[in-house]
Amino acid sequence: MPEPETNGGFVARWKALPVDSVPKTLFVAITLCLFCSMIVAAAAVALRPVQEANKLRDKQLNILQVAGLYEPGINVAEAFKAFEPRVVDLETGTFTDRFDAASFDDRAAASDPDLSQPLTDDPAGIGRQGRYQVVYLLNDAQGDLERIILPIHGYGLWSTLWGFIALGPDGNEIYGLQFYDQAETPGLGAEVDNPRWKALWHGKKLRDEDGALQINVSKGAPNAAMAPYHVDALAGATLTSRGVDNLVRFWMGEAGFAPFLENLKTGAV
Amino acid sequence: MAETRRSYLVDPLVDNNPITLQVLGICSALAVTSSLKVAFVMALAVTLVTAFSSMFISMLRNQIPSSIRIIVQMVIIASLVIVVDQFLKAFLFDISKTLSVFVGLIITNCIVMGRAEAFAMKNPPIDSFVDGIGNGMGYGLILMMVGVVRELFGSGSLFGITIFQTVNNGGWYVPNGLLLLPPSAFFIIGLFIWAFRTWKPEQVEERDFKIQTAEAH
Amino acid sequence: MSLRQIFDRIEPQFQKGGKLEKYFTLYEMVESVFYTQKSVTTVAPHARTFTDMKRIMSYVVIATIPCILFGLYNTGLQANMALASLGEPAMTGWRIGLMQALGGFGLNPANPLACMFHGLLWFLPIYIVTLIVGGIWEVIFALVRGHEVNEGFLVTSMLFVLILPASTPLWQVALGISFGVVIGKEVFGGTGKNFLNPALVGRAFLYFAYPAQLSGDSVWTPVDGFSGATALSITSTDGMTALASHGITWWQAFWGTIQGSMGETSALACMIGLAFLLVTKIANWRLVVGCLAGMIGFSLLLNVIGSSTNPMFAMPWYWHFVLGGYAFGLAFMVTEPVSASHTNAGRYWYGGLIGFMVVMIRVINPAFPEGMMLAILFGNIFAPLIDWFVVRANIARRAKRNA
Repeated sequence: MPEPETNGGFVARWKALPVDSVPKTLFVAITLCLFCSMIVAAAAVALRPVQEANKLRDKQLNILQVAGLYEPGINVAEAFKAFEPRVVDLETGTFTDRFDAASFDDRAAASDPDLSQPLTDDPAGIGRQGRYQVVYLLNDAQGDLERIILPIHGYGLWSTLWGFIALGPDGNEIYGLQFYDQAETPGLGAEVDNPRWKALWHGKKLRDEDGALQINVSKGAPNAAMAPYHVDALAGATLTSRGVDNLVRFWMGEAGFAPFLENLKTGAV
Repeated sequence: MAETRRSYLVDPLVDNNPITLQVLGICSALAVTSSLKVAFVMALAVTLVTAFSSMFISMLRNQIPSSIRIIVQMVIIASLVIVVDQFLKAFLFDISKTLSVFVGLIITNCIVMGRAEAFAMKNPPIDSFVDGIGNGMGYGLILMMVGVVRELFGSGSLFGITIFQTVNNGGWYVPNGLLLLPPSAFFIIGLFIWAFRTWKPEQVEERDFKIQTAEAH
Repeated sequence: MSLRQIFDRIEPQFQKGGKLEKYFTLYEMVESVFYTQKSVTTVAPHARTFTDMKRIMSYVVIATIPCILFGLYNTGLQANMALASLGEPAMTGWRIGLMQALGGFGLNPANPLACMFHGLLWFLPIYIVTLIVGGIWEVIFALVRGHEVNEGFLVTSMLFVLILPASTPLWQVALGISFGVVIGKEVFGGTGKNFLNPALVGRAFLYFAYPAQLSGDSVWTPVDGFSGATALSITSTDGMTALASHGITWWQAFWGTIQGSMGETSALACMIGLAFLLVTKIANWRLVVGCLAGMIGFSLLLNVIGSSTNPMFAMPWYWHFVLGGYAFGLAFMVTEPVSASHTNAGRYWYGGLIGFMVVMIRVINPAFPEGMMLAILFGNIFAPLIDWFVVRANIARRAKRNA
């Protein structure tokens, strides 16, 4: 004998529905989605400030390192206050106040069609070059310019290398070079991160007395006249070394920061 | 009951290891084992995700319609992974930079889905939780073993602490570059499987066919 | 007492139930050096032929002799020329010391015998290490698995040594041959079951593990402070015209007096070896035809396409043929019967795939100027798949015919 229709309330009828019925399936799906999206959204929103702070700290840390101001245990944000970020217009080689230097993202701007242009002569292999770049200036106690930190990037063997180069007040002597983002071959190209190799850059000069760009990364020892402009290539990493050579020469050249550095030297900015 | 729970926890370490016996979760084992620190965090993340997703799925197991059960499992796992990823980005930034997309890929790690489908759908929440911890640890154990080999011989250090001073840093050890490349984990995991099966011959699968032997006449 | 009698007397000890039964493998190994094996397959199917594994393997070793001799000469020649240009400061190491003690014999680049002697001083240590370390692995596996130590290892070890640069550190040689023998061969069940070429597996291991010692410009000539790029790496950076300015002519590359791994520089020596293998029917000509066709076809295509940024596009096929490991790989590795395709139609495809891949890697991959090693390993992996398709196609054709 078939069971009589139960005439209970809505709840009882709902309970009696099999799990696989359409209403219950829909109900489970919708409830679960709502619940999970709430959790995910809550986590993302609540943790965003900490994550942003981490990213900022990471960038500041790299700038401190390339400028040689980093020591383990220092307060990064505090130490970073010594720097003055400015946005440079590469075309004119002057500072611009069009953007807020502290928050302008030059890495994102490099792919913005309004703020960048495609390159025809592209030794660094970057495709598009952002017109505006954030540079960091460090002044000494007397208020004189002590160090200039410039962002650079370019293609190595497998990846784009993102980094900073630190120059002395004359805009010619290299203080340091550091890549904060790269995915070259571990043990070979990734040795661009090796402190011993990075130390080779210290004290090298970009240009000779005649103002010709001479800095280069290549294998072997050059003659004495070229030694101040030469950095020995990484052992076994020909293509990464060539990439670094290209990108440094590109960013220090006319299409890069050369007009700005020239203006800085003559006091035009 | 206590005995079974113990076996849920201990069995996946050696006797039913997710990597060496079930051959699951190999992709991430290749990607994150070049340094121990990263391998450890990854193991921890996978253990947490497996344990909690198994527990939640087990709690809901009588309510999950079978037509959408895989999607339901995915949603729960994915949410947990995103939460873990957000936490790593917030509190372990350096490690999350190295792990990059692989945290997100925990979602596709077969171990998590495998335990949800094979165990949590049929067992009560606490058992499922313990099973998730056990399998996460089994995965983590292999990850750490591979990580020790790769970091020690690939970069001459353990947990970032120099053990062998490498030539590039003025020492004597010539690091083995192959071990820093992901495919090397294939060989290492293969060698571990070989070692495990020599130790525990019952794990060896049956041969597909027999090779004829030569006889003297 | 004759040798046969000695063997017959001690043999029972090694037979089943004998005192030394565990070491039958070792007994068998020594005995088979002197006498033909007594055991033959008795169950069907089997074919009888005068060739056995020992004969095949010995023929391959014989075929490498021109490469060995020329390799010794070229290694010594390159080293002596480098020493002559660098002079006294580069005169370091025990080899130089030994040769100076012998009154400077071996240091004269103009005397071929002297060059061979100098080359031998580099070749022998590597070869001895390879034989000892690889041999130990072979014996261990033979004892544990209960199979024979066979002559395949002699071929593997010879090929392995010939494709190494002369300056390879000996500990790396030991690691490389260990990896080649264990991972390349023994884990799959030993000779005859290896789907990859063990010598190449060993070299590939070293290439990726220690690239600084296996690639670059300073490894080919074993003289400190001397830097000499291989012809392929010169072309990939500076183009075909740079080859001429480095004084490298096609005939030189054909003879083999250029930079490269010990035994692979001379296309001529490789061709003599290949001719021997083809005449003795060890090598299957279809593989050679396929590999030549693939290389020539694809490099001609690239010549036509051309490229303004990549000078390797312009390299003609007859240069591809004489440079790098192409000729050596073609003669001794593409033709290796175990790891190649086993069907006749498949052999053309297998060879063609390798010929295509070697040009592909050399020209288009930015990281590897030389591609023969990777191309052959790639071909090895595809060989069973190619056979599978050929067999499928055959079954389908016959089914149609008999339908």
